[in-house]
Amino acid sequence: MSIRKQLAVMIWPVAAAAMMVAGSAGAQDKEEIVIGASVPMTGPFAFAGIQFNRGINDYVEWVNSQGGIRGRQVRYIGEDTGYDADQSVAVFRRITSSEDVTFYFGDSTAFQQSIEPELERRDILMTGASFASEINNPEEYPMQFLLGPDYGEQVGILLEYIADENPGASVAFIHSDTEFGRDPIEGGKKMAEDLGLEVATTIVTPPGSADVSAAALELRRARPDYAIMHGYVLSPIPAFIEQARQMRLDTRFMGTIYTMEQGIIDQMGETAEGFLGVMPYRYYYDENADEAPLLQTIREMHDEYQATTYTQGWVAGILMQRIAEHTLDAGRELNGTNMRKSIEEMENIDTGGLIGKKFSFSGNSIPVGRIYRADVSEGRMVPVSDWIELD
Amino acid sequence: MDWLFLFEVSLAGLGRGGLYALTGVAFVLIYKATRVINLAIGEMLMVGAYLFIGFGAGMALPLWLAVILALLGGALLGFVLERTAIRPLLGENPISVFMVTIGLSSVLVGLVEIIWTANPRSLPDLLPRDPIFIGDAFVAPKTFWSFVIAAGVIAVFLLLFRFWRGGVALRATASDQGAAYAMGINVPAVYSLAWALAGLLAAGAGILLGAISGASSSMGVFGLTVLVVVIVGGLDSVLGALLAGVLIGWVESVAGVYLGGEYEQLFTFSILLVVLLVRPWGLFGTREIERL
Repeated sequence: MSIRKQLAVMIWPVAAAAMMVAGSAGAQDKEEIVIGASVPMTGPFAFAGIQFNRGINDYVEWVNSQGGIRGRQVRYIGEDTGYDADQSVAVFRRITSSEDVTFYFGDSTAFQQSIEPELERRDILMTGASFASEINNPEEYPMQFLLGPDYGEQVGILLEYIADENPGASVAFIHSDTEFGRDPIEGGKKMAEDLGLEVATTIVTPPGSADVSAAALELRRARPDYAIMHGYVLSPIPAFIEQARQMRLDTRFMGTIYTMEQGIIDQMGETAEGFLGVMPYRYYYDENADEAPLLQTIREMHDEYQATTYTQGWVAGILMQRIAEHTLDAGRELNGTNMRKSIEEMENIDTGGLIGKKFSFSGNSIPVGRIYRADVSEGRMVPVSDWIELD
Repeated sequence: MDWLFLFEVSLAGLGRGGLYALTGVAFVLIYKATRVINLAIGEMLMVGAYLFIGFGAGMALPLWLAVILALLGGALLGFVLERTAIRPLLGENPISVFMVTIGLSSVLVGLVEIIWTANPRSLPDLLPRDPIFIGDAFVAPKTFWSFVIAAGVIAVFLLLFRFWRGGVALRATASDQGAAYAMGINVPAVYSLAWALAGLLAAGAGILLGAISGASSSMGVFGLTVLVVVIVGGLDSVLGALLAGVLIGWVESVAGVYLGGEYEQLFTFSILLVVLLVRPWGLFGTREIERL
């Protein structure tokens, strides 16, 4: 046998095997659904980012153990951004250029605003940490959906609760001088007036403000029945509450989603007693877990408290799943454009009870939430309203 | 005009200014002795707050002991930073040293997030909570007590600078390094002393700031306003840091209440701009003339 023939004999089996491996890998890639994520595992938003990452990871492990999404396995690739929008974009480029990404999870309003054209170009559907009202606009942001009510709607749910509990009450808005803080304020003032509530004052605090005792004096002048605080996580909420009590104000303080995490409320100590706020998800210790099979799954996976930001990771996963299922069941290819259609068509969406009510998307958001009150002695957030859905 | 209200707002502003002044003194101390513009001062302050959380809440030590240990920890941090990161750069371009302090601030944030996580935290209750009234005017108790403590600490330090041997050595080194060497002063030891004392003061300010507004890994942003304070007061003037701290605190509070919180920083930086235009060396700083 000539050397050439001997080589041919040796090479052909190797080449055939290589082609088989490549072919099977290609088939597997096609079946796989990839979720990419820019997650803030370090930096000022890491307290939430670490939990988003854990939540999505656990969801993916669970869904794959259930056979995947319509038989397709799910793979999750998340990278740290340090809560820096430039880094978030870099991570997005890195992941989407090396993987066939179907869904993406974003970590901030700034990133989610800036990446929209790229999402449209690559036909990827995104959700994430932002609840910015601006993103709740399918015309401008067709490739995104929110994981709950936008900030304006969160304030709207709080105002509906106030109008229901205490008609004609006076309300103060206290917000940070950031895009995050300003987001729901103008809409909130208008809605308060529409609901017959009096807007007592609006107090703005600079970002990173060290001492709010002068601003607390402003609150005393207005003496509102309720104060809605937005644009903060923890500080300066305890300082405001504490000083209001020292000045003998009866004002009831309220917060929005990122303040309402149990771990943050715990940090307020005794000051948190009676603090009210809106939360779109069930807490880990929800007493009606029998209505929420996915909450039971989470409890089986972890026997200690899990943060609401962890649940948010699960909600992201289960909503991606519902949207993908709807798209595949309609016989459409799994891409951003087709999944946008699904978002508009879907009704009675079930998150396994993590959001306490079945819903349809309203624009890009889910305008559902519940009011909870901090019970410090129990170390829990206690529901004080039913699930409220804005019209 | 509601004069009582203006008085209350002014008192709140003075309270805020006390913390600016205390941190400003720490900044000036380093600059005077070593000519280093330390942009990590806000993060040194943050470390102080977290050390207090670690000793007071984590290890559940008595609060007075936690304060002492946090202050000593702050001093040790200042000492270590100087010996490991600043001293090797002696004689280098000031911009290099400046950049190193920016790097140090990132390292300190990272360390805090590794040890205490990035979750915002409240400090164990340290300051009294009973409302304070000066006449009819209400002052938030934490603000009041932090001002009193800051003023007390600053007074002690001023006395130390004046009468203590170490303080005199520090002032001598600040005014003329060569002459200080010639007089037998151990200048490298003075450098270490300045950083250690600044670390101690920053840790104290961090504990007070944390007691008022809680701690987070981003609380070092406070250092940015302190930078404005010391530039306005004069980088090498302790008196300047004190007066500018109180002035900026007062202006921020009055502007915040009467015009809105969105105007606070506008006023702060406008003051900076005007001072830089009129007296670039600061209100009380030393005017240095460089001849080429």
